[in-house]
Amino acid sequence: MKNKSSPLLILLIILLTCAILVTSGCSSTKESEAKEAISGLEVTSGSEAASQPEGGSEADSEASTLVLGEMWEIDSVDTINGGAGTLICEKAAVTETLVGANEDFSLKPGLATSWEQLDENTWEFRLRDNVVFHDGSRMTAEEVKFTLEKVIEANSKVASMLKVDTIEAVDNYTLKIKTTEINPILPGILHYPDTAIISPSSFDAAGEFVKPVGTGPYKFESFDERTRVLTVVKNENWWGGEVGLDRMVLRGIPDPNTRAMAIENGEVDFTVDVPYSETDRIDAIDGINVEKYRTPRVYKLDINLKHEPLEDVRVRQAMSYAIDRYGIVEHVLYNVGEAAAGPFLPTMVWANQSLSPYTRDLEKADELLTAAGWVDTDGDGIRDRDGKTLKLNLMTYSARPGLPPMAEAMAAQLKEAGIDVETEVMEMGSIDDRREKGNWDLYLAAYNIAMVPDPEYILTNWYITDGPDNGPGYSNPEVDALIKEARQITDLGERYKKFNDVEAIVYEEQPMIIVAYYGCAIVKKDYVKGYVFDPTAHDYRINAEMYLEK
Amino acid sequence: MKYFLKRAGFMILTLFAACALTFFLMNVIPGGTAELIIKHTFVGLEESVTEEQINQVSSRYNLDDPLYLQFFMWVKEAVLRGDIGTSYVFKKPVLYLLTLRLPATVQLAGASMGLSVVAGVSLGIYSALRENRISDHVLRVITLFGVSMPGFWVALLLILVFSLKLKLVPVSGYGNLENLFLPAAALSLHSAAAIMRVTRTSMLETLGQEYIRFAKAKGLPVWKIMSRHALKNAMLPVITVIGFQMGSLLGGAVVIEKIFAWPGIGSLLVDSISARDLPMVQGCVLAIVTMFLLVHFLVDMLYTHLDPRIRYG
Repeated sequence: MKNKSSPLLILLIILLTCAILVTSGCSSTKESEAKEAISGLEVTSGSEAASQPEGGSEADSEASTLVLGEMWEIDSVDTINGGAGTLICEKAAVTETLVGANEDFSLKPGLATSWEQLDENTWEFRLRDNVVFHDGSRMTAEEVKFTLEKVIEANSKVASMLKVDTIEAVDNYTLKIKTTEINPILPGILHYPDTAIISPSSFDAAGEFVKPVGTGPYKFESFDERTRVLTVVKNENWWGGEVGLDRMVLRGIPDPNTRAMAIENGEVDFTVDVPYSETDRIDAIDGINVEKYRTPRVYKLDINLKHEPLEDVRVRQAMSYAIDRYGIVEHVLYNVGEAAAGPFLPTMVWANQSLSPYTRDLEKADELLTAAGWVDTDGDGIRDRDGKTLKLNLMTYSARPGLPPMAEAMAAQLKEAGIDVETEVMEMGSIDDRREKGNWDLYLAAYNIAMVPDPEYILTNWYITDGPDNGPGYSNPEVDALIKEARQITDLGERYKKFNDVEAIVYEEQPMIIVAYYGCAIVKKDYVKGYVFDPTAHDYRINAEMYLEK
Repeated sequence: MKYFLKRAGFMILTLFAACALTFFLMNVIPGGTAELIIKHTFVGLEESVTEEQINQVSSRYNLDDPLYLQFFMWVKEAVLRGDIGTSYVFKKPVLYLLTLRLPATVQLAGASMGLSVVAGVSLGIYSALRENRISDHVLRVITLFGVSMPGFWVALLLILVFSLKLKLVPVSGYGNLENLFLPAAALSLHSAAAIMRVTRTSMLETLGQEYIRFAKAKGLPVWKIMSRHALKNAMLPVITVIGFQMGSLLGGAVVIEKIFAWPGIGSLLVDSISARDLPMVQGCVLAIVTMFLLVHFLVDMLYTHLDPRIRYG
């Protein structure tokens, strides 16, 4: 006789054992790895070559280990090919750049102590003579040359910005860089984290990147490719002096809600950009502190100047008057950001200080639109002219949380001025496609404005007739001439004056509406001390002075 | 044996079809492949890309070749050398990246499946036995919530209760058994509810059959009726649903992985699609389709066990 109850039992047993085997089998190893990564007792790494075990008693490492909830997933530590330049330089503080920047974005010495322009196309950099890589070797002009050549080869963006012809190590601490054309912003580009200097020992014999060996206050210790936890430890021999933390553990937590709950639950000590709407609530929690800063990024609305209603400057100005920048900052961004006038933060040394944000003025908007011939003839609330209604589409993307709600708010505000705006949140590929085909009216995006600490980069990209980021198709011979003249001037004061004039012109013409400066919310436990916000960093920069006071 | 061969042949055919479909569809969606790869690797999402950079990347990855040729090369490499390509974005072999991410996905899907089956089947049976009593109504309302609540919301709710209020498990992370609890629970809720509803209905139907009434009349105890007679017959539709739920588990995992920072292939697939990282997308699709096919194979095998009248061949 057959055993009748067996099939169901078999099914359940199979499924249960599968589940249990899979979970326990994987987790028994994972558990220890993760715990180790956090407590720092012993370190295992996904790629063996990348591990550099180091001892340390549990008590002292627990006392000064900072767990950081990073906003992007950590996929790679490769600063040359893997796009991890910013992470390793600014957030893990493992590498450093030749040139630094002050709060007002003026340049200051980094690994290079000084630089000068020898002739139109030649620059000479003097390097610090007391810098030692984490592998113990000294940093000389040879290693700097090595890094820059590697970056130029791999990273076409940096290559096109640097415009390097040759790099020469004149002596141990002098580097000569020849460019293919005059390039006054060369030192500024060398502040960009992707150009941070690494030792040749970052690569194996076959030339494959193994781990970042830099000169910064923290040394790379391990990166677990499975759990994607990056650990760095104090560099006792940092040329810059004392380092505050013994260890830092970086965990990528891409969801803002999860980051908020992770710091509430005490799993991380430091994180950024919790949902904007949550900042006040979290700040009110005992032991957690939220600080809001401006970062070098702006929310801007590109306007397709090739579309008939938008080629009229009066329509664009009217739109700018219809948008309530202060309201958006307060109610959509929850004050994580600030109303903007021109493309540059007012704190930047080259910004045109005489400009102030357009304030909402519906009467003025009405005057301008009426003058342009757009009036509401049929009483439906939407303006029309020659039988055509003033209807526009606005596209944006969701990778930055402020964008979609901002687009909605702007559409509502424009509607009050009689402009019907339909918003669309799209994927980047579709946006590119639409922009290429010219099949769009408005495009809201968040742009970095100080990848290079100099106004030339952004003004050239955005406003010059054939500028690569000139989405609106703006063309003004006066602007073109001013930018081209300024590019040739090496005297900073003179240079900035020309750029100020450009800012004033585009402020008047509004080919793109600069809505607000991007904000960053730094969320940290009260015992995290010594943090200083660096407005020149991409999101945030970990500084060597940070320490824990538990 | 013959059946197995035939079945394996179909599986390979399905895999091939899935890969071909993915490949060609990826090339139909708007947005330039080379451009998006550059944006995701080097210049940043919002920045522009120069013509020169596009040409460079296009020639490096042979993106200018006709589509059928690109696909043919991919298949050739995959079949002849077992090499399913190198990720454009990570610049590492797809197979290697899959071995890093797959365990996390299998772990999460396996645990969720286990949870849903255990909870769904047992509660379904319980509910059927208590038909129209208070506990049955309560359970039915709960399942209604289960099927209708979106996964991400459930996930946040679970974190709020179990991590922030009760301090039982961590909010996010990977590597620990306690890390697995919340994502698996959040992911399995929907499936558990679906399985429970089917189990309950099927069980009720079976319990109404003549032979059950006969068994009852014979004086057999309830547990014996259930285990010897009812369960086996009631399980067929349940097994079918379990097989289909596997698909929704893999799909739902994308959101859950993002919320819990779980390093599985769901989020990898989504990121790869937006970066137009074709080899990586192909690899992920291959892995997911394989898992799905294997589960269905298992389901079909279980059919024959449960109902000897079903014979393949």
